[in-house]
Amino acid sequence: MAAIVQTPLSSRSRYLWVDRERGRFLVHRSAYTSPEIFEEERRRILHRSWIVLAHESEVPNKGDFVVRQVVDRELIFNRDVDGKVNAFFNSCRHRGAAICREPRGNRTRFVCPYHGWAYKSSGELFNQHSTFGYGERFNEGGFYDLTRVARLDKRGGFYFVNFDPNAISLDDYLQDAGPMLDAIADQSGVGMEVVRGCHEYEIKANYKLICENSYDGYHLDITHSSFVDYMRTMVRGIPVSEMNIRGVAKSLGNGHACFELEIPTGRPVAQWLPVWGEEARLEIEAKKKELESRLGKAKADRISVTNRNMVIFPNSIINDQQTVLLRTVTPTAHNRMIIRAWSIGPKDEGPVLRRIRNEGALSFLGPGGFATPDDVEMLELCQRGFENAEVEWNDISKGFRPEENTLRDYDEHYDNELQMRAYWFRWNEIMSAPESRG
Amino acid sequence: MSAALLLRLTVEDFLYREAALLDDWKLKDWLALFSPNARYEVAPTGDPEAGTLSSAESLFLVADDRERLEQRVIRLQKPQAHAEYPHSRVRHIYSNVRILRDTEAQIEVNSNFVTFRTKRGITATYMGWHRYLLSRHSDSFLIDLKRTVLDLDGLVPQGKVSLLL
Repeated sequence: MAAIVQTPLSSRSRYLWVDRERGRFLVHRSAYTSPEIFEEERRRILHRSWIVLAHESEVPNKGDFVVRQVVDRELIFNRDVDGKVNAFFNSCRHRGAAICREPRGNRTRFVCPYHGWAYKSSGELFNQHSTFGYGERFNEGGFYDLTRVARLDKRGGFYFVNFDPNAISLDDYLQDAGPMLDAIADQSGVGMEVVRGCHEYEIKANYKLICENSYDGYHLDITHSSFVDYMRTMVRGIPVSEMNIRGVAKSLGNGHACFELEIPTGRPVAQWLPVWGEEARLEIEAKKKELESRLGKAKADRISVTNRNMVIFPNSIINDQQTVLLRTVTPTAHNRMIIRAWSIGPKDEGPVLRRIRNEGALSFLGPGGFATPDDVEMLELCQRGFENAEVEWNDISKGFRPEENTLRDYDEHYDNELQMRAYWFRWNEIMSAPESRG
Repeated sequence: MSAALLLRLTVEDFLYREAALLDDWKLKDWLALFSPNARYEVAPTGDPEAGTLSSAESLFLVADDRERLEQRVIRLQKPQAHAEYPHSRVRHIYSNVRILRDTEAQIEVNSNFVTFRTKRGITATYMGWHRYLLSRHSDSFLIDLKRTVLDLDGLVPQGKVSLLL
């Protein structure tokens, strides 16, 4: 192989080509197209990272459960009859059948439809539907209780799981993404809740493309110019002088990153738009006062005007804009993923603001809206373009400075590409490390 | 012919005309079928009670008032509506049309549907039912509400609702 001229900090691996002298940061496209690399990612990253599972409001009562995909696993997330929150693999300990067939509901017990093994909501096996054939000590020590996911923890109302029993704590993992989740919880004094209705859609593209897309400020003007046209009609009544977008990009540690925007396009918590009308104005003013009295003026101001798109490495996406949108990303192959998205708002939100929240969420961030279908299109066009394997490298150099400290840096331009570099820097670290075989 | 049968045939005729306008991407003409306070909605997938949910309380796929519906039509005619540029080929099949209620003010209609969308060699199928509220207008109707409920757990593999169903 020909030698590559490098500054001391430049490097080139199988996946990442960092040329600080020339201001280039490149990702090898095999990272999006190779089934083998996808298998390796599953093993090294997806099965060993903290991944968002659900919001605490989804299981408010004893017995409540939801069934969720996380990577290639199907989990039962429930609140048992003692009030404890659990995450179990949805598989009978007997012969493996999925014991829970409804996507959500309330159950104090789960009974396998195959042979009738019955489990309490705490996961404890209590009946095998047979009076003979099993010794008294058969389930000694809870041997046949439902298998729990190795790690389950929450931050700011969001529950995360990790399949690796030796993983670092959630708080250590999240680093500066943790306080961002706390700030979402701060939007309500009585708690946040998931709004009924899920946006579920498949994108025929590698899952990392939606992560990149979610905090990519650079594509907004081009991909979403028709949405911007629509927004212009929605923000009528706001002076053009106030329409400047101010924003920054931040890498938050561990591959997590976000951009933050101040843009007067309206937030139910708590920035009013004239087209929303007087009733909404009164509710939003009341909400703003409530934030100020609870959190102080500075924090209240910040919550009211800041839109934020964040990716928690490797595949948990939280957009805080017209609503708080939780997007889970389930990669089903190297070139396919399923997105499931939920809208989250204050439990005590009135009907006017709730309607505004729902309409804002579906018109921009939903698969029937004015923007997301075009993102889906772009991601599928990328995956299609990658088939031209002779074109080997993707560029994410915008804003790359020789001295950039990618995992912990700040860029005063939200529409540079620091966010994605933070992701790939971390991704490359894990994928290029010598693999321990234990 | 009974009055009920005649009404159903007249409504079917109107709905087939609506479907043909969508098939031909004649969206301005399609929009003209809607009344000034009309709504066009697509309920969330994967919810067994999707047919009874309200878009004010739940997260729908589409919940357009007349203004947003106009904006949707304007957007879908731009090349910058990338998912529909060039326009996909679409075919709307309506069947099982039933008049549920007929009052002086409004007629409530249900129709099953299958809509096929083909783009870049991939055909996606959308199926479910439409609920219409129609008001009488000269010798025809105007649509006060078109609400679509999909028989889908999710948009898998369809990916999006970029077309008008």
